[in-house]
Amino acid sequence: MSIVLKELSKNYNGLPIVNHINLEIKDGELFVLLGGSGSGKSTILRMIAGLIEPDSGSIQLRGRDVTRLAPQVRDTGFVFQNYSIFRHMTVAENIEFGLRVRKVPPEKRRKRSEELMDLVELAGLGERYPPQLSGGQLQRVALARALAYEPAVLLLDEPFGALDVKIRGNLRRSLKEIQRRLGVTSILVTHDQEEGFELGDRIGVLDRGNLLEVGTPDQLYHRPASQFVATFVGGGNVLVGELCPGGVKLGSRVVLCPPESALPGHLEGARVRLMARSENVEVREDARLLEGHSLGEGQVAEAVFTGSGQRLRLDLPELDGVRCILPVPAYGQEHPQLEAWVAGRPDGHLFQVGQKVAVGLLHYHLLERTGLRSLILVDFVQESRVALDFGLRVSEATGAPATLLAVGGVHERQSDIVARLEKLHSSLLEKSPNLKMCARRGGLSEEVLREVREGRHELVVIGEDEGPSVTRLGPWAQRLLSKSEVPVLLVQQDYPKISRILICSAGGEAGKGDVWLGGRVAKRVGATVSVAHAVSETAEPERKARVRSHLHGAVNSLHAMGVEARARLLDMGTSTSVAQTLLHEIEEGNYDLIVMGMPNKTALATRLVRSNSRPFLFVPLSH
Amino acid sequence: MMRNYRIPVGLLLSSLFPLLLMPLMAIFLFAGKGGPAHFTQALSTPDAQFALRFSLLIAFATSIVNAVLGTFAAYVLSKYRFPGREALLVIVNLPIAIPTVVVGTSLILLWGPIGLLGQYLDPLGIRPMFAPAGVLLAHLFVTFPYMLGAVKPVLDEQEGAYEEAAYTLGASPWQTFRYVLLPTLRGGLLSGALLTFAHSLGEFGATVMVSGNLRLRTQTAPLFIFAQFEAGNIEVANAVASVLAIISFVLFFCLLRFTGKDQR
Repeated sequence: MSIVLKELSKNYNGLPIVNHINLEIKDGELFVLLGGSGSGKSTILRMIAGLIEPDSGSIQLRGRDVTRLAPQVRDTGFVFQNYSIFRHMTVAENIEFGLRVRKVPPEKRRKRSEELMDLVELAGLGERYPPQLSGGQLQRVALARALAYEPAVLLLDEPFGALDVKIRGNLRRSLKEIQRRLGVTSILVTHDQEEGFELGDRIGVLDRGNLLEVGTPDQLYHRPASQFVATFVGGGNVLVGELCPGGVKLGSRVVLCPPESALPGHLEGARVRLMARSENVEVREDARLLEGHSLGEGQVAEAVFTGSGQRLRLDLPELDGVRCILPVPAYGQEHPQLEAWVAGRPDGHLFQVGQKVAVGLLHYHLLERTGLRSLILVDFVQESRVALDFGLRVSEATGAPATLLAVGGVHERQSDIVARLEKLHSSLLEKSPNLKMCARRGGLSEEVLREVREGRHELVVIGEDEGPSVTRLGPWAQRLLSKSEVPVLLVQQDYPKISRILICSAGGEAGKGDVWLGGRVAKRVGATVSVAHAVSETAEPERKARVRSHLHGAVNSLHAMGVEARARLLDMGTSTSVAQTLLHEIEEGNYDLIVMGMPNKTALATRLVRSNSRPFLFVPLSH
Repeated sequence: MMRNYRIPVGLLLSSLFPLLLMPLMAIFLFAGKGGPAHFTQALSTPDAQFALRFSLLIAFATSIVNAVLGTFAAYVLSKYRFPGREALLVIVNLPIAIPTVVVGTSLILLWGPIGLLGQYLDPLGIRPMFAPAGVLLAHLFVTFPYMLGAVKPVLDEQEGAYEEAAYTLGASPWQTFRYVLLPTLRGGLLSGALLTFAHSLGEFGATVMVSGNLRLRTQTAPLFIFAQFEAGNIEVANAVASVLAIISFVLFFCLLRFTGKDQR
């Protein structure tokens, strides 16, 4: 192994910029670190070169631990985005610089620099000064300079970032060829996925300091594990489907489970994200010609001619009810849409907008399910810690990173909010090293919803333990509940151990999401689950039977997940309302967590919340 | 933009003529009035000779000391981020804003025989004021910002990129300074040193306070000119003044050449 990074971490102002990175790069490999701005990719590269000191972790280059060594003795070649060519030296002097400081005799230096100028196609320009060269030529000089002393590893920090597209292509090909010929182990940092695909033997995708996935370009493109990688690397379609006996259910259609994406604990009713690249969406005039899995009839909503083919947006009424993560649904869109790319046909035939077509999937892939990334709302006004303590425990239990969110009023200074948050954050870091934080200003529910979107959080934790219970679940919390697309956990009092969970399916049609999420939490914390539904004595026998079968199904799913579960058909008896019945059950069973569907009318939820101080987990129906 | 330039340019010239050009001409006209013999005679008096030599010496010493000190200050202020950096930046540039007479006064109040430090040095026989050392101290103070102002922007522009590149190439901090930073600073160093030299050569306000204006001991050329003028020896004053003016012109043209070259 030429480069080994172990648990490499770096924080700035308490925020992890590089978060426990582990990576091994083989001899002669060209490895690409791909990520957006602020993903920490350059920081990693600079830590390897010794220009930034890591907070923790270690770096090995060719078996030598260099973590605490000065950059001069690490034996790395570094190519900077802004070239950093010494302006007062000629091209040859620049290339020879590394040899000169190593006290290599002038004749040898001269010979080496001429070899290198040949290699980077700059022969004959040795006596020129940098201001006389173009950007592309300067970067070639930088490459030659970094290679002159045969470094152990070559590090390239967005080397083509400052060049225009045409030169970039040329230089990329040169780099790849030179790297192959010399066999020098290299890391290239870029935000350009096309560049990463073209150059990388393997690619590592970074997001906010975390190394999400490492794989060959083919693996990352066709079989990404996470949604971030699926959408960051190439585009296409990501749909939320449901596992069923025959495969994956998408609206009224069922497609087979692809063999390579066998999910651990294949679970019926579980939501899964299905990814299909645009070019793997099949579009035919005639349904009989479809080769892939049919998605039924669609209509061309948009058609763009791209020269080599056509990019289409297709309306798919048969997928109604399916959540589309990508392409991002347009406002007012009637049916789910897919994006397709079809190669141009020799006869020049083009699809027209409005045309009815048969749509199928040639190839698709299921994304991995992830832990719950939770967002914990920190309350500085009442100094309440229940949400914090409980939320941290839940995120620990689900094995996912948590983020602290502080929302200050518009009259507060951002720096004050940040300062308070930082203090809290650093006091918790020891216990929860993956904890992140963020500060916002504005309306409480709006900012929480916004952060959920931007930070791709999957659970919101809020606390309400102050004041009389009748004021709980006030206007802002109700706004949050009515608009949130992710589950909301409401904590009113700390429950140190969750050993009994109640899933209420009484508030209207029972969502499978409640069962799934409740089961997931139960499995992690080792709790038992009761699934309850309240029915009045006077209900028709048919309805009772339906409820019973539904409860039975839920219990079966939970058993399949390895969770101990039982069904509770609650007889309302003399109670006048569902709420009363549920409250009775809650007290009776002494539950530590109550899971229920997100109330579209919050009356029932409000009543339940205000009548006892247990934690509630609200799950949106679409979840 | 081929507008008629005659009127605005004419206006500019006619206002600059009495303000800038005529006074310069006056020096040379008056200096040459008595003929070359008078001129050389005026310059060859021991007092005039000493004043000119002393001024050049002080200017040279000031340039050397401030070149080193100013570059060091620029390096530290440009490279490091530390508490109080902003305040320090203001302080080192302060000499530009303070009246030179005030500088002279404050130096006397510090180093003079009854000054804050001077009162303890005086019994030891160390008396920096009213001596060449005092003149040098005053000039170092007054001209300090020029070197800094010429070098710091060059370093700021690099933002450490050259150093990082040199470090990864294996250069030690000293090699980096010697082979990478110093050559890029050459233009800044030269123009900074020339500016320092020129300002030191013409310094009057602070010098007149700290030197005591002792002829053949601490009298610089500007002080000599003033003293001669007051004594009514206008021709002698003029002769030395024209020599100072010529030196300044030469320095100024050198400066233009160097900065012009650097921008190429």
